[in-house]
Amino acid sequence: MALTEKKAVQGFPAVGIAQLEERWRRSLRGRNRRKYIPIAIGMLMVLTMVVVALLAPYIAPFSPSAQYADYVLKAPGAGGKHLLGTDEYGRDLLSRIIWGTRVSLQVGLASVCVGFVLGVPLGIMAGFLRGSTEAMIMRFTDMMLAFPTLLLALIIVTALGGSLINEILAIGVALMPNFIRLARSLALTIRENDYIMAARAIGGSHLRIMLRHVFPNAVSTLVVIATLYIATAIRTEAGLSFLGLGVPPPTPSWGNILSEGRQYIKCCPWLTTFSGFAIMLAVLAFNLMGDALRDLLDPRLRGE
Amino acid sequence: MLQYIVRRLLIAIPMLLGAMSIVFFAMRILPGDPCLAMMGDEATRAALQDCIRQLGLDRPLLVQYLDYLWKSLQLDFGRSLLFNYTVSSYILRMFPHTLLLVIASTIIALCIGLPTGIISALNRRNPLIDYTSRIVALIGLSMPVFWFGILLLIAFSLYWDLFPLIGGGDLSTVLEMLGNGEVFEYPEDFFAAVLDVLHHLVLPAFALGITLAATVSRLSRSAMLEVISQDYIRTARSKGLPERVVIYKHALRNMMIPLLTIIGLFVAIALTGTVLTETVFSRPGLGKMLVDAIGARDYPLAQGAITVFTMTIIVVNLIVDVLYAVFDPRITYR
Repeated sequence: MALTEKKAVQGFPAVGIAQLEERWRRSLRGRNRRKYIPIAIGMLMVLTMVVVALLAPYIAPFSPSAQYADYVLKAPGAGGKHLLGTDEYGRDLLSRIIWGTRVSLQVGLASVCVGFVLGVPLGIMAGFLRGSTEAMIMRFTDMMLAFPTLLLALIIVTALGGSLINEILAIGVALMPNFIRLARSLALTIRENDYIMAARAIGGSHLRIMLRHVFPNAVSTLVVIATLYIATAIRTEAGLSFLGLGVPPPTPSWGNILSEGRQYIKCCPWLTTFSGFAIMLAVLAFNLMGDALRDLLDPRLRGE
Repeated sequence: MLQYIVRRLLIAIPMLLGAMSIVFFAMRILPGDPCLAMMGDEATRAALQDCIRQLGLDRPLLVQYLDYLWKSLQLDFGRSLLFNYTVSSYILRMFPHTLLLVIASTIIALCIGLPTGIISALNRRNPLIDYTSRIVALIGLSMPVFWFGILLLIAFSLYWDLFPLIGGGDLSTVLEMLGNGEVFEYPEDFFAAVLDVLHHLVLPAFALGITLAATVSRLSRSAMLEVISQDYIRTARSKGLPERVVIYKHALRNMMIPLLTIIGLFVAIALTGTVLTETVFSRPGLGKMLVDAIGARDYPLAQGAITVFTMTIIVVNLIVDVLYAVFDPRITYR
């Protein structure tokens, strides 16, 4: 007797296997679709940011450094052309925020790259070679982890002086211990696989195995988690700029617009409100995308 | 357990030394010397020499380094370059402000974050509750504390004029009165001072607390999800215990252990948060002191503040690890 002909066994509704499968598949698809919504929203926001940063000279209605004496500290909508108002030098706030996107994105992406390039090789070495190499690298990492990211970046920027490059280096180095830890834990699981043993058996050197087998198997997870660190990097950059240790003033960055606007919160709250809102949106975009990607890739990584 | 604690203590010592070495050498990489940076180009040669000698920068690097380590362990960070007082006395005056802010904001973060995280985890099949609380937590996580602080200032200090715009209240008077027993002689003055301190504390504590609550909420949600999928929870349910008992007696207690280790991490985040929060609210404290010292290039002061920050974080992590051993008996058998 075919399975589909079994009807209403013990009070179960009469559904055929084919129908059950279809329903199962549909619910699966529905669930997956729900998972993709935050990724889509996050990606859309990130993409918008990238486009705004790249096309800043064309999108921005004014030059970010052009000063209009007639429009000092004017409220949003002043003169029908300053959409978000103007600052204490009569500069258009919207244009400055648009140009500030460049600094945030540059620092966010570049510093994560620096952290990745410095941290991942060390982490893979620690996890793959084990022994005294691991002990040495991990003690060093623990030491660096004693400093919160902002504090470590603060120390480095103080030592080097504030500029775009130094800020990138400082945040990159401050993120490094996180990448070391993550890469190590990935390498620890990967090295137990049979294909690693096979690679060893045919005489692959440590370096070759790490480069050709361990790293490629770890890279997708590393890149996803790196997305989350872009959010951290952007927030840290804004924090440093806010404290006056970021990109030096005439160049607009969201942090220094906010910091300069702080003196005028009594009369002109729009300066701080809009620049801070831009920071929040940017951080949210990367958090949203990274969070959802990570859950999709491996929910067990939630603690990282 | 004693063995575990002793071993943990021994690990903390090289960590502390290493972290302090990072501070020392980072401050020394500085291109150009601190004296030149502080006095500017117009300083005379003699004045520069004097400054270098005063800071002990003419000694070999190794001697300076050992001297720094030894003195820091005795909490002696030298004298401020700009003001004529010792760094440690200044830190001692600022520390209570920061401590108060960290404690208050931690309480707020736990009061808001724990319940929302747990409720979100327990109602994970109800998208309305779970998704809403997760989205709110994500927004909270993405909100820079200095911006949220400014928004609070605009609303509650400028628009409604409910709370002071700057300052931290007269905490030193409160501590002094507590110390010399004047509390009992002038209770009214004392309560007025306490009220003043609290009045100044509300906005900063909420700004930092609410942004931290987002982190707590996410951490407690995943901790709860982890616990609720364990076998003993299924056992408790299958033996017919009411859901309330399963949650309160079995799930919540076991959730506290992973949460405890997170608190160590959390204090580090909160301390960093104070740097920004204190700057926004122009509130005295270690963080503001650090930022001001860096701005004024007062190296002994900055170095002292960073060292104290690092020491605090390492010590808190140490305490948490020890508490972990106390709460989780399985640690003993390792």
